[in-house]
Amino acid sequence: MGLMRDIFMTELMGGMKLVFLQMFKPSCTLQYPHVKHNVPDGYRGLMSLLRYEDGSERCVGCSLCEAACPSNCIKVVSDEVPGQPLVRYAKEYYLDITRCVFCGFCTEACPVDALAMTKVYEASVYDRRELMFDKHKLYELGEAHLADGKAYLLAHNMDDGTLNPTEGLGDNRYEFPPVDLGEGVPVPTTVGLTREALEAEVAKS
Amino acid sequence: MELAMTVGLAVFQIAIVMGVVLLSVAYMTYAERKVLSFMQDRLGPMEVGPYGLLQPIADGLKLFFKEDIIPSSANKLIFAIAPIICLVPALIGFAVMPYNETYAAFGGEAGVISDLNVGLLYILAFASVGTYGVILAGWSSNSKYAMLGGLRCGAQIISYELALGLSIVGVLLLSGSLSLREITMAQDGGFWHWNILLQPVAFVTYVISAVAETNRLPFDMPEAESELVAGFFTEYTGMRFAFFFLAEYANMILVCCLASVLFLGGYEAPMEFLNFIPGFIWLAIKTWALLFFFIWIRGTFPRVRFDQLMKFGWKVLIPITLANILFTALGVYIYNN
Ligand code: SF4
Ligand code: SF4
Repeated sequence: MGLMRDIFMTELMGGMKLVFLQMFKPSCTLQYPHVKHNVPDGYRGLMSLLRYEDGSERCVGCSLCEAACPSNCIKVVSDEVPGQPLVRYAKEYYLDITRCVFCGFCTEACPVDALAMTKVYEASVYDRRELMFDKHKLYELGEAHLADGKAYLLAHNMDDGTLNPTEGLGDNRYEFPPVDLGEGVPVPTTVGLTREALEAEVAKS
Repeated sequence: MELAMTVGLAVFQIAIVMGVVLLSVAYMTYAERKVLSFMQDRLGPMEVGPYGLLQPIADGLKLFFKEDIIPSSANKLIFAIAPIICLVPALIGFAVMPYNETYAAFGGEAGVISDLNVGLLYILAFASVGTYGVILAGWSSNSKYAMLGGLRCGAQIISYELALGLSIVGVLLLSGSLSLREITMAQDGGFWHWNILLQPVAFVTYVISAVAETNRLPFDMPEAESELVAGFFTEYTGMRFAFFFLAEYANMILVCCLASVLFLGGYEAPMEFLNFIPGFIWLAIKTWALLFFFIWIRGTFPRVRFDQLMKFGWKVLIPITLANILFTALGVYIYNN
């Protein structure tokens, strides 16, 4: 029996059959620049500062985020709001994203939920200076990705979805509900032909 | 005038055959990447052109414009010659390959550049010359990895060429000729005349030794990435590297073409009523089916150890081929009397 197996190379043939059948299974490649992954709400992307609905800045300049940051990449220059004694705000706010380790401690430290992380993960630039975020840039990011920021705070149980910091909400901030991300989402691209081919591929699989 | 016509026709034939072979080489790399990807649930090249179809051209251009580096301690002359020694024998074998019954379009007789009466020996001889390119490349690079790769290649090709040659002998006994064209013509008239039915063992041993002969996985000892970086062409860059690459793939196409001619009836159609399809298409189909097989086993089997490789070659393949020759000779003798 063993000799027969050797002569007809039964094991090798079994392996070859398996590999051949594998060829007809759909591929699991996501064509990254053309198709992007669905990013979960709890994703820790670039940092952003949020505003209240009326447009006023949430940050009160307490520097707690600066204290919480393990890599010392935040610098807050706090000041009184002109004409409003005892009301403070961050006059200047610097965040060196090149040093950020995306731990999210700063968002947890913030008492007014002013900091939130967006889903932006394509942070590469040609000039490193563009990665030294100042207050203006952070508020800009916050405006552009407001929904993501809110979703982040909700997912991390720091907020009830209304952007009202609530006592006790943060107690279970590391418990994430399971999310079903499903397939990636195609994004528009300029390479016409390739894209159609790609979409056909995506639709097929 | 007559001479000019002959020379012109020959150059024209060579140009066509070289063009087809080099194009096949380019798309062989593409096919290999695609098929391997599908076997591994990937997509393979997708960016250059629709479904990545222009990828081989982009790769060729890239290699062409790359910097050519010669290691300072290398033997410059041999380092420069080795890729050529490697490539030329791989391409030259196609000269005796019969592509078609005739080429009526050009008023020619036989569909082969040169119908040598010792065509098979010619191919085997040049295949061995290609080994010199590999060994010289390994030696002249003055690098231990390249050296080891070259030596392994020498040992491996010598052992497996024996098995390769011996598995062909059975076919020679059957067709009684060394001319590839006559071997093909002896298999005329349907697939039941093909040599593979009379020589199944020889076909299996031929394919196995052909894989080893062309240094393909699972027998890619000379360039085993995990052990030898890139084997004998570790130090090569740019066009010189491309030459080795071309040589490897051209060799693959050559041995597959040869297998189709020797065992699968070459340009003959498998059934009489399929004769309306031109012969060179049948040859291409058979060759590409074998090439697919090469990719397939590359996707399936892990690399064998060097001592296992040698043991398999000398202690398994060669005795089997010798026994096959014995039985074939007996069979032919009895049949003829
Ligand atoms: S995510 Fe972590 S490292 Fe980055 S700024 Fe916040 S606290 Fe600092
Ligand atoms: S972002 Fe939050 S923690 Fe940091 S200074 Fe402003 S209010 Fe304080």
